[in-house]
Amino acid sequence: MDKFLRDKKAIILFIAPAFLLFTLVLFIPICQSIYYSFCDYNALTKPVFIGLENYKQLFTIDRTMKIALKNSMFFLIFSVVTQLIAGLILAALLTNIKKGRDFFKNVYYLPCVLSSAALGLLWMFIFTPKLGINQVLAQFGIEGPLWLMDTKGYIILPMWVIASVALWQYVGQSMMLYMAQIAGINSSLYEASYIDGCTRAQAFRYITLPLIRPMVATAMSLNAIGSLKFFDLIFNMTEGGPNHMTDVLATHLYTQGFKFFKYGYASAIGTVLLVLCLLVTFIINKFVKVDNYEM
Amino acid sequence: MKKKVLSVLLSTAMIASMLVGCGGGSDTPAAPAADSGASQDTADSGEAAAPAASGDVEEITWMFWDDLNATEDLISIGYRETVERFNKDYEGQYHVNVVTTNLEEYYPKLNALVAAGETPDCFIVSPGPNLDVYVEPGVAADLSSYLKADGWMDTFNGGEGAFSQQTYDGKIYAVPLNIAAACVFYNTEMFANAGITTMPTDWQGMLDACEKLQAAGYTPLTISAGTAWCLSMLAGYLCDSEGVDTAALDAGTASWLDSNVVNATNKLVEISQYFQPTAAGDTNDVATANFYNEEAAMLIQGSWAIAQINGSNPDFESKCGVFAFPGTDGRVIAKSDSLAMSANTSHPDAVIAFMKYFTDDTAQKYTAEVGGKIPVTTVEYDASKAPAQLAYVMDVFGNAKSTFGFYNESLATTEAGSTFDDTMVSIYLGTPVEDGLASLEDWYKNNIWNK
Repeated sequence: MDKFLRDKKAIILFIAPAFLLFTLVLFIPICQSIYYSFCDYNALTKPVFIGLENYKQLFTIDRTMKIALKNSMFFLIFSVVTQLIAGLILAALLTNIKKGRDFFKNVYYLPCVLSSAALGLLWMFIFTPKLGINQVLAQFGIEGPLWLMDTKGYIILPMWVIASVALWQYVGQSMMLYMAQIAGINSSLYEASYIDGCTRAQAFRYITLPLIRPMVATAMSLNAIGSLKFFDLIFNMTEGGPNHMTDVLATHLYTQGFKFFKYGYASAIGTVLLVLCLLVTFIINKFVKVDNYEM
Repeated sequence: MKKKVLSVLLSTAMIASMLVGCGGGSDTPAAPAADSGASQDTADSGEAAAPAASGDVEEITWMFWDDLNATEDLISIGYRETVERFNKDYEGQYHVNVVTTNLEEYYPKLNALVAAGETPDCFIVSPGPNLDVYVEPGVAADLSSYLKADGWMDTFNGGEGAFSQQTYDGKIYAVPLNIAAACVFYNTEMFANAGITTMPTDWQGMLDACEKLQAAGYTPLTISAGTAWCLSMLAGYLCDSEGVDTAALDAGTASWLDSNVVNATNKLVEISQYFQPTAAGDTNDVATANFYNEEAAMLIQGSWAIAQINGSNPDFESKCGVFAFPGTDGRVIAKSDSLAMSANTSHPDAVIAFMKYFTDDTAQKYTAEVGGKIPVTTVEYDASKAPAQLAYVMDVFGNAKSTFGFYNESLATTEAGSTFDDTMVSIYLGTPVEDGLASLEDWYKNNIWNK
């Protein structure tokens, strides 16, 4: 190994593909996008440098940006908290059952592998007043709400609906991550705790939870970044409507960039999104303490 | 040694299979848009009838806003037949590949292709700010010389006047295919049962008709707020009837808080009590289906809906009447589908030949006789074959003193139009009129007047 590490050519050879890929696919486009965020640019004419004008408009004038930021933050908090709790509960339950474990694991994980666009359309139909849940409720004489159009409240009903659908779709992913970590815990630790008089709940509290903490940090980071970038379900269920009330940063970016040809402005939204992702990842890694235990 | 030989052989086989997989496209060049996420209609658009394209065939791409294979819309079916006819007649010379999306995603996808330098050779577009976007940066080609060259322009109803919405600085950038007028479609049986014998001609008459229909147990109006432009079309009529001047609004010499806009918006709120209960969430298709399935008495819609209504429920044609939106002093909202050509196309002759197929007698007769839209050329069509509703629409159109565009296609930019649509939906959903219009005013201040 030491001999290999002294061979600089070999090191360069191994690093080069990943470095090139990262540079071409990520680093250069990010730099380009950051530059465009300071420009008035419609992709058809040359970008004109306008300094901080796009950011000024984003944070002082653009009402949709405020809504999108609020919705993205709601989505972030809702997803991180609910997926942490629901994912952990499912993982703990499924680890402790023997019969049907694989079946339920597949059932909970299945939505993750399905197309979000197709699922978005499916749920959109389910919540459409003329077709889905409301028709079922009507059979019992209940008038259902406008699931995807109601605009009352600080966080409007459609956002709760979409966030719940996202939880349903992605909870399987968190569950799998936690199950993988739980499976790695040495069973002798549990046996020893039971001999010492621990209940199952205490074993979960004092053995399982501390030992899966590294995975909690990883899953939370993945959830947080995924929630901030969230696009497909919202686009397919509401397209950001009514009146941009369900817009998040990604849908706002899409509308400004691809619908209205404001690539410079959309790049500014993208840059804000990038900064938020980095910030949230930093905060999670800073505040979720990870101790390394021998498992 | 044996292992090494085996691994070399396997590696060679793997690389060879990869190359085979990557190749094979030289004889049948793929259309550029196929790489860009948009679906390509081929099966029913003449591709099946045409032989495998050889190297001599000029391939062009047409981008359209409906799925030509799945559509039930008679106008779209007519377009599909036009493509098939073109591909058959020009077999071995030209061949058109159709790239389709749904209407909602059409412009974002077209814009993405334009930005990527892969503008389709020919694309459908609505006049107004939607076309401005492609004319100003030089994406759309000037078609004037092609139109004037061989008398093509003379075939259009009104000659050069037919291109007023497509003309910029004296140059024509798109060719209209048909005209549609926004009217009130009504169920004659329901009207008769409600005791309505004369069609409303003013606002109070409209409200009275709604009241009578409701009293007779019918839902007076079906509309879509889920598809914002549908509600906005009604709002546009109400604004126009109150004398709102869009040019003055764009120029900043009028305000969205002026009393005429407030009155128009109050009228929108007033009539909304007669909408179907699910209007807020219904899409355009659902709202239209409510009408031809006889769940509501009136539908305010463009005459393109004739094709959808008759295509989905042919039995309803005899019950469907049409009248002009009341209280507009003879002004009618009119809209046309237009075709534009990419300024960078390598096959302008093929594109022009293709465009001419949409405005020839066969296509224009179909437009009137089957599709129920108003033809743009001077073609003689058999009125007895045309849908009954077309005659009513022609009456409305013929009696119109003047026409105006959809608000979302008439305001300063596409974003301004979209903001107007969204504001009207938001007011319908409960935002107070003054707050909604103040928000629109703010948007105009920041994005139009002070720019």
